[in-house]
Amino acid sequence: MSGAIEQPRFTCALGSCQSVVAIKKGVPILHSGPGCGVQVERIIGQGEGYAGGSTMPCTNSEEADVVFGGEKKLRNVIENSFKVIDGDLYVVITGCTAAITGDDVASVVGEFQLDDKPIVYVEEGGFKSNNYVSHSRLVNAIIDQYVDKFNEDREVIEGLVNVFANIPYQDPYWNGNLEQLKRILTGIGLKVNILFGNESEGVSEWKSIPQAQFNLFVGSWAGLDIVKHLKRKYGTPYLHFPYTPIGAKETSKFLREVAKFGGLDEKKVEAYIDREEKKFYSHIDKMASFMLEFRYGIPRRFYSLADASYSLGFSKFLLNELGIIPGIQFIVDDIPEKYQESVLDEFSRISDLQRRDVQVVFDPDAGLDQKKLLEDAKDYENKRILILGSSWDKHIADELHGDLLIVSVPVQHRLVMNCGYLGYEGGLRAIEDIYDRVLATYR
Amino acid sequence: MRQIAIYGKGGIGKSTTTQNLTAGLAELGKKIMVVGCDPKADSTRLLLNGLAQRTVLDTLREEGEVDDLSQIERVGFGGIRCVESGGPEPGVGCAGRGIITSIGMLEDLGAYTDDLDYVFYDVLGDVVCGGFAMPIREGKAKEIYIVASGEMMALYAANNICKGIQKYALKGGVRLGGIICNSRKVDRENELLREFAKELGSQLIYFVPRDNEVQRAEIKKKTVIDHDPNHPQAQEYRNLALAIENNTQFVIPKPMTQERLEEILIEFGLMDSIKDNYHI
Repeated sequence: MSGAIEQPRFTCALGSCQSVVAIKKGVPILHSGPGCGVQVERIIGQGEGYAGGSTMPCTNSEEADVVFGGEKKLRNVIENSFKVIDGDLYVVITGCTAAITGDDVASVVGEFQLDDKPIVYVEEGGFKSNNYVSHSRLVNAIIDQYVDKFNEDREVIEGLVNVFANIPYQDPYWNGNLEQLKRILTGIGLKVNILFGNESEGVSEWKSIPQAQFNLFVGSWAGLDIVKHLKRKYGTPYLHFPYTPIGAKETSKFLREVAKFGGLDEKKVEAYIDREEKKFYSHIDKMASFMLEFRYGIPRRFYSLADASYSLGFSKFLLNELGIIPGIQFIVDDIPEKYQESVLDEFSRISDLQRRDVQVVFDPDAGLDQKKLLEDAKDYENKRILILGSSWDKHIADELHGDLLIVSVPVQHRLVMNCGYLGYEGGLRAIEDIYDRVLATYR
Repeated sequence: MRQIAIYGKGGIGKSTTTQNLTAGLAELGKKIMVVGCDPKADSTRLLLNGLAQRTVLDTLREEGEVDDLSQIERVGFGGIRCVESGGPEPGVGCAGRGIITSIGMLEDLGAYTDDLDYVFYDVLGDVVCGGFAMPIREGKAKEIYIVASGEMMALYAANNICKGIQKYALKGGVRLGGIICNSRKVDRENELLREFAKELGSQLIYFVPRDNEVQRAEIKKKTVIDHDPNHPQAQEYRNLALAIENNTQFVIPKPMTQERLEEILIEFGLMDSIKDNYHI
């Protein structure tokens, strides 16, 4: 059943253009109406990157392009994008208008591909899906139309891993998280294709995707189609770690799973984990007196309005490392039904010490979720709560005199550069930020 | 002002019939505009004696906008104002949207003047998408005539078009004025069409017999009335014009089920048995 929903915390399929922005010297070319790209950027963008935001080339389709077809204009925009933007990979993304009219984008882009230009296309008529789904379609298009060209008789490189995790920009901390992932995976002895963001080597890294020993997908579901596709295409096995690992306990567990899957030297891995854990807990030790004295000052319960990867990751971390109890977890990523059970299963195993029933609501209608949250919070009046949500949840956090940690888009109340909550360092950052929110309210 | 849309299977003779019919109405002193709604843009050739006409969409494509009605309108036989919507090149773009754009443009340019007695829309074969239903949407044509013949596919198409009309009739004011038979000299054609129209709840408004004079006139880029006013076929078109001028029967059609349509075809000998239906 279709119906209206309030505050969707994702975009239409066209939002995958942000994944191109996240590739070093990647240039998205939109074949869409004027304003589509800006709307995407306002929900999931922060900063224009190399060629994103208002610098994104776009055909700005109008009525004449519908009636007569927009192929000529697209060809023109592509030609000129090559002239004025020095990119390593150009990705043409079609919006609703061209998808309905049925422009033959494949043949227009095909002309440039025949000229050996680094260009691919993906049809993302906005109505086709949301950006959680379209991200995989886009990455697979790059693999099929570009990466595959470099795959002639190349051998598997032992210890090379392709990492796919939360969707760039849809996860506001994607860059910091990927930096952490690369750091810890390199730490246990892997060679890492991180593919997006600062720590990536850009398009040259993409070219070695087929040579990886294995693929790693860190997240609950959005991106699984990429590693499945790579398995079908190149026979590369994959490991799926179903949430964002935050803090020492979860990160160590994550690294051990990866090491086992990749057949890494256990001694070396354990030595690394030991070093990282010592560092992590030393910071907590330093603060032990303060944290003990302040134990009644920090929130006792938290709610999430986030995607499944974050909700699970934070629930495990906050419960097991900080003792903050999960209230209702609102999963707002429009997760398909077939993946919901595995998320619930993961929640049921949230604590090693005792069985804990976490109430989970799968509903992309964040307006309704907020209403339910406010209802539920009535039972905990005068108790400090923490909300993991987006800027759109600021007013309910204010209303409940709660603390808001932004972990979801849209992000309007903080600037994000290399902040990330994943891993050992991400866990420390999360502790800092949560205490910071609380302490900031003191006079 | 009566706004009339002519539908029917592709190749059935919609454009020929519309132009000959409007020539007949023009002789009666009626003020008429013919709007061709087919990307092929061949709806006004006989009225304009082949005069090349720039379509609305050609003008839009080349000049970016249409400022004045004179850029797209030509006056043909009997003072009939002729406009062709035109369309994109085959296989590209969206012809349906093209029709919406050009009809919208005609309205903006004030083409629908009060002195007009009739506006005719000559629409391409089938109502394939929303764009081709534009002429029968709110505020446009209220009367529809379907051109058909005794051939099976023509009747299938006509029945299908009635489904489209029914949809718009229920929410707007469009009505079926009748079926015009453009004869293909099929056995018992007149009876079959009468029965078919009756079954739809409508009427066979006129039976236009087949005559090679129509083809001869077409080669000369003329309507029959223009080519040879004294030919008996010219009188047939005058009669059709009168039938439409005097028509009072406007109904919401009741399209048939596939089974019922086939029963009628069997009854009139078009299908010997159900086995001959190549749809099965």
